[in-house]
Amino acid sequence: MTLPADLCLNEFNPYNGGTPVNTFTVYMQYIINGLTLGSIYALIALGYTMVYGILKFINFAHGDVLMVGAYIGLLTYQALLGDSTSASWMMLAFLIALVVSALLCALLGMFIERVAYKPLRNANRLAPLLSAIGVSFILSNGAAWVFGTQSRRFPYPFANNPISILGVTITPHQILIVIVAVVMMVALTFFVNRTRMGKAMRATSLDQGTSELMGINVNRVISLTFAIGSALAAVGGILASFDFRVYPSMGTMTGLKAFVAAVIGGIGNISGAMLGGVLLGILESVGAPLLHIPNAMKDTIAFAVLIIILLVKPDGILGKNEKEKV
Amino acid sequence: MAKKLLTALAILLCAVSLFAGGTSETSGDTYKIGFIGPLTGDNANYGIRCSNAARLAVSEINAAGGVDGKMLELIAEDSQGTVERAIAAYEKLAYSDNVVAIIGPVFTSPALAVGQRCCEDGIVMITPSATHKDVTAAGDYIFRTVPSDSLQSEVASHYFYEVLGYRNIATLYAMNDYSQGLAQGLVDYFTPLGGTVVDEQTFMVGDRDFRTQLTEIRSLDPAPDAIYMPDYTVEMAQILEQASQLGIDIPFLSSDGFSDPEIYDLAGDYTNGVIYVGPAQAQASQKYNDFAAAYSAAYDGDAPDSFSTNAYDATYILAEAIDRAGSADREAIRNEVAATTDFEGANGIINFAENGDLIASQGVYEVVDQTPVYLGAYQVQDGHIVQVD
Repeated sequence: MTLPADLCLNEFNPYNGGTPVNTFTVYMQYIINGLTLGSIYALIALGYTMVYGILKFINFAHGDVLMVGAYIGLLTYQALLGDSTSASWMMLAFLIALVVSALLCALLGMFIERVAYKPLRNANRLAPLLSAIGVSFILSNGAAWVFGTQSRRFPYPFANNPISILGVTITPHQILIVIVAVVMMVALTFFVNRTRMGKAMRATSLDQGTSELMGINVNRVISLTFAIGSALAAVGGILASFDFRVYPSMGTMTGLKAFVAAVIGGIGNISGAMLGGVLLGILESVGAPLLHIPNAMKDTIAFAVLIIILLVKPDGILGKNEKEKV
Repeated sequence: MAKKLLTALAILLCAVSLFAGGTSETSGDTYKIGFIGPLTGDNANYGIRCSNAARLAVSEINAAGGVDGKMLELIAEDSQGTVERAIAAYEKLAYSDNVVAIIGPVFTSPALAVGQRCCEDGIVMITPSATHKDVTAAGDYIFRTVPSDSLQSEVASHYFYEVLGYRNIATLYAMNDYSQGLAQGLVDYFTPLGGTVVDEQTFMVGDRDFRTQLTEIRSLDPAPDAIYMPDYTVEMAQILEQASQLGIDIPFLSSDGFSDPEIYDLAGDYTNGVIYVGPAQAQASQKYNDFAAAYSAAYDGDAPDSFSTNAYDATYILAEAIDRAGSADREAIRNEVAATTDFEGANGIINFAENGDLIASQGVYEVVDQTPVYLGAYQVQDGHIVQVD
């Protein structure tokens, strides 16, 4: 059977019913995309920044806690949901899964700190860092062993139909990410600045020894810091897994980018983590198209800009110009 | 010193005079065929199965009376899968054993090297397994019974242009050999037909966010007719989902990477409507069943792989060509191999393209919800796509 050249020419619908494409809407779309991607980085960056603020130590296992959180969330959600397709139960099961995952990850974070970092608190600065890298490998290889290396899909617990506003498209999931990130940041800022425990945290961050002399239970403060950071990582991991899928090495690149976001924003600074995350997300999204460079290079461009920012402001955008303890 | 040089020259002259004329000496009443492939080492499984299949074909042919009144003789040489060993094997077969033709080499790199020599020396070579598109490019003496990598691109381009009527296609692919090769293949075959690859979007292996690339494709004016994504399942699952979230209604096209059923676990409901070009569904033929049974009986219950089926067919094609040539003249045999028409092999009907590539079918599939529906097997014949099954 030979088909003539223009048989069955398919009709196609240009996107959005033919709304004229203009540069403004295109760039607005890049920024929206970057904003949501960046909000995920920001959520995870909060964990890096809090731990660094208190211990002056970079918890390289943080990205892998995110991965564990995503697996716990997915498995809990699937177990709760069963064969149900009820919309309200899906949403409820998702919220339960989110809470379960955050709680278990908080415990995991505290456990890791207790076992792998606390015994090294007075050791050489490099020792806890190496210990963190070790924990990172244990978690990601362990997950590969238990769950296999295949990516898994986290199904949306709500109808995720895109909403189009003036040619710019956004999904409920993306809106949720931004809202969660903002709420978490505000809540955390309030907690650190307005509560007794937050005051203890700030004191510990300023001077551990003196805080201890003032009757602050430094061990409890540090445990709590890890618990909060890990719970946030779990939330970030679950929100990210809709986009990124769930797989054992999912924490590596996301964790690295979140870490970079924390440094850019000014590590140790909560608003800085948010700002750094969003900035990195937007740079990644808009950088390559703006410079007309192949999109495979988008990370390269984002990181090149970050180097420039660091050259100008070595302590990060909102970082305090204080002497490094490291 | 001068004496040594003279001796060397004399030997060289003898050698040249022996082999001049392109006709090999057949010792006694046999036609010798050489086989080159890895018979030891890590990849020996491929070479051993291919040589087993060729040997099986030779013994069947001889049992049926041989070709042109003479027996066939298969001389298998070990390449260990390396270029150096394959060249050494070639030199033994071509200059010492005086084979009339060569089956193999099994791997791409040795096939490229030996192919070059075969063309220089005028010995026909049929590889059962080297898929790289350049293998048959060295000259007129190289054929293969395995589909070339570029075949998928050719069939896909013709299908998109002629059957689907697409003229403007955007590509979205990863920076790796597989995806880049197929994306380039689309440019190579789709453009001469009159189509245009209007936009090429790339990403790095491991990327999970494709919104920037998709937004750029979405901003194209006019919108492309389709988006071609010759990628791996994890990437394609996210591309489809994120495209849907960006409100992109443009149809998606894909490659054999889409034939992995994992895509339906990862992409959920977003696979509906994807059209992809992949392996043609093999028809169960009596010829294949007979071959598989004979192979299994001859080699302790071992099952033939697809390459050994190709080697089996290659041996029969050679035998028929020698029979028609009626002599050990290497050029005549080459011409008869090229003249092979509608050879009925274990793999189905075999024809060679002008360049020596196998004319094979590619399957086209359309996904309905989460189930691939087989649209049929297609070939490109005389510059047009033809449905063959």
